[in-house]
Amino acid sequence: MNFWFAVFRQAGRNLRQTWPSQCMTLLTVSLSVLIFAFFFLVYTNMLGVGDKLGDDLRLIVYLEEEPGPELQEQLRRKILAFDEVEDIRFISRLQAYERFAAQLGDDSDVLADMPQDFLPASIEVVPLKNLRSLTQLKLFSEYLAKLPGTLKVQYGQDWIERFYYFIRLLSIVVFLSGGLLILTSVFMVSYTIRLTILARQAELELLKLVGATNNYIKTPFLMEGFLQGVLGSTLGLAALYVLFQWIRSNFSGPGFLAMFEFTFFKPPFLIAIIAISILLCTIGSYTSMQKFLRT
Amino acid sequence: MVEMIKVSKIYPPQVRALVDVSLTINNGEMFFLTGASGAGKTTLLKLLCNMEVPTNGLVEVAGKDIQKLRGRALAKMRQKIGVAYQDFKLLLDRTAAENIAISMEVSYKKSAYIKKRVKNLLERLSLADKHDAITGELSRGEQQRVALARAVANSPPLILVDEPTGNLDAVTTEGVMTLLNACKNSGATVVIATHDESIFRDTTHRVMELRSGRLHLVREGAAL
Ligand SMILES: Nc1ncnc2c1ncn2[C@@H]1O[C@H](COP(=O)(O)OP(=O)(O)O)[C@@H](O)[C@H]1O
Ligand SMILES: [Mg+2]
Repeated sequence: MNFWFAVFRQAGRNLRQTWPSQCMTLLTVSLSVLIFAFFFLVYTNMLGVGDKLGDDLRLIVYLEEEPGPELQEQLRRKILAFDEVEDIRFISRLQAYERFAAQLGDDSDVLADMPQDFLPASIEVVPLKNLRSLTQLKLFSEYLAKLPGTLKVQYGQDWIERFYYFIRLLSIVVFLSGGLLILTSVFMVSYTIRLTILARQAELELLKLVGATNNYIKTPFLMEGFLQGVLGSTLGLAALYVLFQWIRSNFSGPGFLAMFEFTFFKPPFLIAIIAISILLCTIGSYTSMQKFLRT
Repeated sequence: MVEMIKVSKIYPPQVRALVDVSLTINNGEMFFLTGASGAGKTTLLKLLCNMEVPTNGLVEVAGKDIQKLRGRALAKMRQKIGVAYQDFKLLLDRTAAENIAISMEVSYKKSAYIKKRVKNLLERLSLADKHDAITGELSRGEQQRVALARAVANSPPLILVDEPTGNLDAVTTEGVMTLLNACKNSGATVVIATHDESIFRDTTHRVMELRSGRLHLVREGAAL
């Protein structure tokens, strides 16, 4: 226990001596956590939006004629040759008619005069819900249109494709801001710790001479890094939460955005971000400390 | 407590500070090391506390080859050696009390004990009113006593003192010697390097002189 008392006393002295640069570092760490978490939050929410949009996303291939079982099998193989898919459904003329009637509901009597085979048979292809598949819908539809016996391919929602391109772009931004987070926390923390070490060089040398163990010298600095990580990430995430609430309360009226429910990070994810920041900052201070103790 | 066998120290490029020094200092002995300025006194003390490594020979403290100690073992050993450096090595922006406390803090003494001990030492060295004075603003004589207080504060079994009376008047010198004698009487081994004959003239302790790096016996001490 005495050890920790000594460590806290030492860390307190460090803070008193270099608090301006400590504050700068804290600010930098929280900013980079904020930036990273912001983009990540947008990204995860957009994925959620995409999921919703994609739920009834399918490519409909209209066929010239009703395919027999053998032709169905051939077509299925051809489709799978392009890409794996979630599902392939063959809709016969009759099924199409029944569906349409069901959709019309009470108004279905308008169909009374129509022949039951006035709608073409079709194949419904449900693409896999991953980014790779979703960003090549256009290619896929072109491929399907070239299959023998197809009338035309409908997916009409080519903005979905653009949407997924946007998500892909976003994932790159998330990556970059994650890199930024790593760089700033490790380097800024190791830089401020180095400043502290320089400011207190005489004392640290003396501590060695009077028999302070390496742990006695090291731990306060590691704790500083640890604290930078805890405070920096918590501040950054708190700022993001405030921003999130602000956006939600200001843009939640009727409109496009209101269709979707935006969510904040789940607690395990928050804890993960904090833990990673702590780790990075501690690594930063550790590297500085090692450099000092080696000389 | 201290064992030196054929120890030489050559500073680069060719300064022979110590030549073939062999010396045994017993547990609980008070030992005076004298010699002109530049004779190698400080160097000898530095070898004992592992601030310098010998070019040749063996240096043992408390039965351990001090050169072979690393990390934690070295730190523990240094906690057991109190050194009052010739250049003091005080933290000039801290108070006198904080400087003295450091040697006890690193071995995790209770803060109540540290407070009491610091007060007591300052009183014995006639520095009672300097408890909260910034060390950098003290006179050299006062700084010297603060450095001494730090060396003995943790009650180390081995105390090395380099020119303890250089900047002191007769009365304060007396106070310093009384403190060091008290340390000796409570069992510590005390090694004092000095060129000031007056502090050992009237004692019965062993005195040896360094002359250009070689050790010569001046006076055998009274049997322990
Ligand atoms: N770090 C050093 N580098 C080179 N020469 C040194 C160093 N320290 C001491 N010396 C030389 O070693 C000799 C002994 O010095 P020192 O042990 O300080 O003597 P004393 O303490 O008896 O005055 C002197 O000639 C001094 O110039
Ligand atoms: Mg000297």
